[in-house]
Amino acid sequence: MMKRSVKKAKSGRMLPSFLALILGSGLAFNAQANTSTLKVCAASDELPYSNKQQEGFENELAKILADTMDRELEFVWSDRAAIFLVTEKLLKNQCDVVMGVDKGDPRVATSDPYYKSGYAFIYPADKGLDIENWQSPALKDMSKFAIVPGSPSEVMLREIDKYEGNFNYTMSLIGFKSRRNQYVRYAPDLLISEVVSGKADIAHIWAPEAARYVKSASVPLKMVVSEEIAPTHDGEGVRQQFEQAIAVRSDDKELLKEINTALHKADPKIKAVLKDEGIPLL
Amino acid sequence: MREMHHSRWSKIGTALAVSSALGLMSGMSVANDKLVELSKSNENWVMQGKDFSGTHYSTAKQINKDNVKKLRPSWSFSTGVLNGHEGAPLVVDGTMFIHTPFPNNTFAIDLDEPGVIKWEHKPKQDPAARAVACCDVVNRGLAYWPGDDKAPAMIVKSLLDGHVVALNAETGEEYWKVENGDISVGQTETAAPFVAKDLVIQGSSGAELGVRGYVTAYDIHTGEMVWRWYATGPDADVGLDKDFNKHNPHYGQKGLGTSTWEDNAWKIGGGTNWGWYAYDPDLDMFYYGSGNPAPWNETMRPGDNKWTMTIWGRDLETGLAKFGYQKTPHDEWDYAGVNVMMLSEQKDKNGKMRKLLTHPDRNGIVYTLDRETGDLVSANKMDDTANWVKKVDLETGLPIRDPEYGTRMGHRSRDVCPSAMGFHNQGFDSYDPKRELFYLGINHLCMDWEPFMLPYRAGQFFVGANVWTYPGPKGDRQNGIGSGQVKAYNAITGDFAWEKMEKFSVWGGTMATEGGLVFYGTLDGFIKARDADNGKLLWKFKLPSGAIGHPMTYTHEGTQYVAINYGVGGWPAVGLVFDLNDPSAGLGAVGAFKELAKNTQMGGGVMVFALDGKSPYDDVSLGEYGM
Repeated sequence: MMKRSVKKAKSGRMLPSFLALILGSGLAFNAQANTSTLKVCAASDELPYSNKQQEGFENELAKILADTMDRELEFVWSDRAAIFLVTEKLLKNQCDVVMGVDKGDPRVATSDPYYKSGYAFIYPADKGLDIENWQSPALKDMSKFAIVPGSPSEVMLREIDKYEGNFNYTMSLIGFKSRRNQYVRYAPDLLISEVVSGKADIAHIWAPEAARYVKSASVPLKMVVSEEIAPTHDGEGVRQQFEQAIAVRSDDKELLKEINTALHKADPKIKAVLKDEGIPLL
Repeated sequence: MREMHHSRWSKIGTALAVSSALGLMSGMSVANDKLVELSKSNENWVMQGKDFSGTHYSTAKQINKDNVKKLRPSWSFSTGVLNGHEGAPLVVDGTMFIHTPFPNNTFAIDLDEPGVIKWEHKPKQDPAARAVACCDVVNRGLAYWPGDDKAPAMIVKSLLDGHVVALNAETGEEYWKVENGDISVGQTETAAPFVAKDLVIQGSSGAELGVRGYVTAYDIHTGEMVWRWYATGPDADVGLDKDFNKHNPHYGQKGLGTSTWEDNAWKIGGGTNWGWYAYDPDLDMFYYGSGNPAPWNETMRPGDNKWTMTIWGRDLETGLAKFGYQKTPHDEWDYAGVNVMMLSEQKDKNGKMRKLLTHPDRNGIVYTLDRETGDLVSANKMDDTANWVKKVDLETGLPIRDPEYGTRMGHRSRDVCPSAMGFHNQGFDSYDPKRELFYLGINHLCMDWEPFMLPYRAGQFFVGANVWTYPGPKGDRQNGIGSGQVKAYNAITGDFAWEKMEKFSVWGGTMATEGGLVFYGTLDGFIKARDADNGKLLWKFKLPSGAIGHPMTYTHEGTQYVAINYGVGGWPAVGLVFDLNDPSAGLGAVGAFKELAKNTQMGGGVMVFALDGKSPYDDVSLGEYGM
């Protein structure tokens, strides 16, 4: 059923009610138009995307964006996970921009995508393994998969009948913390270190999240991006590649226009940062 | 009265040696007969439920309605451990056995001189267990086995890190130790073991962590596993007798442990059982409840999710199920069905004498079944404010739901009663066979439940739930008090002889005596006694810390004592124990019990009471070095 939820999320069938809930909670839409600064909400501790020391690649991209827009950059930090940035910060007018959302996120207005990447298999390069996709026979002999629950990887793990057997391992990666009413982040550097140490047979995660740790791993790792839509037995398939965009509040049309102009102008600089990070760009 | 414990036990040993060969051949256990005998005597309290029927009722009547107001502390013992102290001490042949939450220490105290610790057992445990436990690091108590010619008398306990340990009752030395759950896959153990015949029955916990619930029997002599049966999966794993649910085919029979789940979800389907057991030696059947399905979010597991939330009647020798009745098919509220099972013999409405089983469930219904066939005899609301269900159809066994109080994604269901903590949780209640009344300790708690889905980048999302828990409609929601009740329930008529409100949940359950009294502890740290006939409050005493365990009573040297563990904690006090402030933390427990910290703080120990505080130390020379 997780699969159904994923697909609902993807097709937006589940989101309208969710969105109604947020909009119904009495939000004031009176963003102060301060054109001299660009207020970007960011997580204070969520590498490789962002941290307070501004070591994340999205911190870097925000700087480029603000420069190009000829505005002063102001980070509005949140100690909570970035998954809460839109609902708890952007929609409450505490900032004007959130970096790195899926293109078309129905809660917000999204910019033109500034890059596209995908989920990737990550495994030791020197083990003679050749895994291209979820149909690869070698996956059948594996028992420890480093994945993030609630991601397309989870749906595919169910598809190849490895989800239940892997459940305890998945929970062990967050110290068996209950996820019932709290969000617990799966740290990408941990997932990669599990592959390096051999505790995990393989990882399958969002490549941009893994890139810098793959690059700096103590053993050579192979990163193979999954196909656009991974086939499933019901014929629907599960999306593995996503375009990333910048979020503004839905009514912030002027700002969106300005951001789109800047993104096109800064594209070479943006791509350079992403390449340097080691992110496979599609 | 006084007899040396050593000599008494050795006498039993010789008697057992003669008859044991015969006993084993016929599938009987002489130790079992001894346990039955001990459970009937007022000098002993040899199992958590007092007797195999789990009546929690003592025929002792030295302390009664007329004199209970003279009940005073006799002596006390601090366990040296904070956190929640669930369960109760045991008393066997003049020794009290006291348990603690993690690190699960055990103390043996000589009742003739309680100031001296006879032995103590302090196990080494994987410290990871502490981090994994969901709701404080409680333990629900010890079990006792009286010994035979092959093995000495034993105290059996579970450890938070998943082990079951048998100790020599005389010395406290470890006799055997087995791993019942693997802490490295998130399995912890909080339930009290249950000993019947020569078997130790142990449940499992950790439903949220992918554990498929199971019940296991170990040979008391060796710790060897005899059988293990699961709550979900193929019939061969669930352990169904060939005549399973013969009397009630509409409860479901074959193949449902897999077919009521999508794909292979049964493999991580939960249904763990961390509650209580009862045993009928005549039928040779034992009874318990399996818990909630996993994951908690119902949209992820369509179907009835059998056999979670089920009252089981299983054969003791083989463990095979004779009947299984699922109370809450497809649970949406976390109404884990592991609560106490109390056995009684009563005439039904048609005047027919029946062997019954009564079970106050988390879902707010108190069920009474024929424990031989599994037939539903009655199923009534523990409190009329239970609203997720309109009623239970006795013909089909199905709850008739009120969709208004169902839970669904993106919707805040308001005023759902009971809350996820249930109108009744792990408390051990009591049954008074003279008055034919069950004394129920109740949580009067309701909740708002809001499952939500939060999208994130790259198609990821997080599914969670906000839960707000608060006193039910009969309490004071504004001030966070009035969240408990005590009620006297007749399972045949469905009537309540009386009902009283309490400031907080009556988490630990009740104990009844022939003195016409009902005892219980409260979260804010009182032990109270009420009149069994009308509920009138007759006596109370303020304990050092809140009580989440159940009272027990024993008679020693002609004096009746009442004892109770104190030490606030467990689920209702997670906020207090872990210093949490977010009202929806601990599945709403923090908000529900925010007032508690104004009444009590952590502690841990046992308090023992007698009329006029009579105590071994009335002889002031006892234990003196030099007067």
